Amino acid sequence: MDIITYKNFSWRYSGYKGWTLHNINLSIKKGEFIGIIGKIGSGRTTFCSSMLGLIPHFYPGTMQGEIIINGLNVKKSKIADLSKCVGLAFQSPANQLTGAGTTVEEELAFGLQNLGVPYEEMHKRVDDMLNLIGLEKFRKRSPFELSGGQQQKVAIASVLIMNPNILVLDEPTSQLDPLGTEQVFDLIKKLSKTGITIMISTNNVDYLSRFADRIILFDNKIVKIDTPKKILTDINLLKKHSLTHSNITEVSLRLKKMNLSKKELAIDFAELKKEIEEIMK
Amino acid sequence: MASNILLSYVHKDSYFHKIDPSTKLLITVLVILLTFILKNYIHIMILLLFIFPIGIKSKVLRMVFRPVSQLFLIFILLFIIQGLFYPLATDKLMDLPFGFTLWKDGLINAANVGSRLLVMMVFGFWFVLTTHPGDLVSSLRKIGLPNALGYIMITTLQMIPRIQSQMKTIIDAQKSRGLETTGNLIKKFKSYLPLLGPLFMGSVQQAVEKSMALEARAFSSDCPKTNYRKTTIHLKDKIIMICAVALSIIGVILSWTL
Repeated sequence: MDIITYKNFSWRYSGYKGWTLHNINLSIKKGEFIGIIGKIGSGRTTFCSSMLGLIPHFYPGTMQGEIIINGLNVKKSKIADLSKCVGLAFQSPANQLTGAGTTVEEELAFGLQNLGVPYEEMHKRVDDMLNLIGLEKFRKRSPFELSGGQQQKVAIASVLIMNPNILVLDEPTSQLDPLGTEQVFDLIKKLSKTGITIMISTNNVDYLSRFADRIILFDNKIVKIDTPKKILTDINLLKKHSLTHSNITEVSLRLKKMNLSKKELAIDFAELKKEIEEIMK
Repeated sequence: MASNILLSYVHKDSYFHKIDPSTKLLITVLVILLTFILKNYIHIMILLLFIFPIGIKSKVLRMVFRPVSQLFLIFILLFIIQGLFYPLATDKLMDLPFGFTLWKDGLINAANVGSRLLVMMVFGFWFVLTTHPGDLVSSLRKIGLPNALGYIMITTLQMIPRIQSQMKTIIDAQKSRGLETTGNLIKKFKSYLPLLGPLFMGSVQQAVEKSMALEARAFSSDCPKTNYRKTTIHLKDKIIMICAVALSIIGVILSWTL
């Protein structure tokens, strides 16, 4: 069953000449893990915003085509209704914080209050979420006093706690250190096993190669949708879009250049291991 | 920090921190009404006496008076201006040099206004210091406060430090490009003008972003809302409320009959 469908969708911000996104046709099945890559200005954030309806509802511009999310026509639905099934973590975590609560725990509870979640369940979900993101110690602090990385975790958690069917993450690790990045991706991987659909915009190809079912390459239009294997080993394509391949692919590429291996390029550790084992033989 | 005057909730373990916010709000509103209804400044100042037991019991007495001492100058100015220039003055107290006259009814008017201001401030600060904004909104929502208004009440208090830090960022950014912010008053004023544009635009931009963040969390959804913070009106709240109303009525009667 398709949970996200784009039909000939195009978007132009008012005041700009060209289409930021042009003729997007896409269908995504329930439970898929989708990576969104592309250079800066390729329309990734616009694409992410359109899934929650911020585009077209919040930004002035011209829209063509239609978007159906979880059976709702985005153009005809209220953002508040879409937000029950779509969780969007913004690129800048400070923007995600509503200031509706004076502490981290209240900030997390805000969405649940709006959905009318009962008192006991709300407290349980907040406790669980604080545990999950490891910010138990900070529950009584103001979210605005946290570091960028901690804010990012709170921002993602504030969306996650509402149990969306579709989780859209726009550069979720932009302010995190390597360990924090690892934690967030582990969390996302865990979530994707529970059956929710994940759309993640990131140029961290190391992680995408490990986790994504499909990858979409954007350049104001969809350049290519395919498996990570097909996209992340196409080095010329990546270079053309100012992107790099993963370190594992780089090792595999060098082995190939040294004529040690004739297999196709590896994208994850298991493949690379197999390749090296064969060489050792 | 310039936010010394603007007080916010201070967590203390006290009797008045635990009672329902609507009870405290009622007390505060009653006191404010009384300052307008009571006959004169002596009666209003009797109201002030009530803050001492309440303030001590709430463990915030000194904090309640701190901002008052910072506004001391305003009270002095009030007496000078009213004493000298009260437009309805008829009762002369004494002649001053340079043709000024000190009016008795001017001073009485200043005392009325000043005592009213003082009592309102002190009880207002007491209310803010002992009431968690989340509890207040949660309590008021039960008696029909609209969701949006509740959000405004909580977020406003948080906006002030954020705007201050934003101002500092903008000043630093402009200074690093060579803006002079020291010098005499006129020079200072001129140098602060170019800072207002970015600050204002930034705030507008932020408001738009905040509304997106709110919508992303189902803010305008139609379902009935729940509260993260629990507040209940106990029997003791009801007793306090009834006592407060009764005392106020007695106070008004006494003030106008004695």
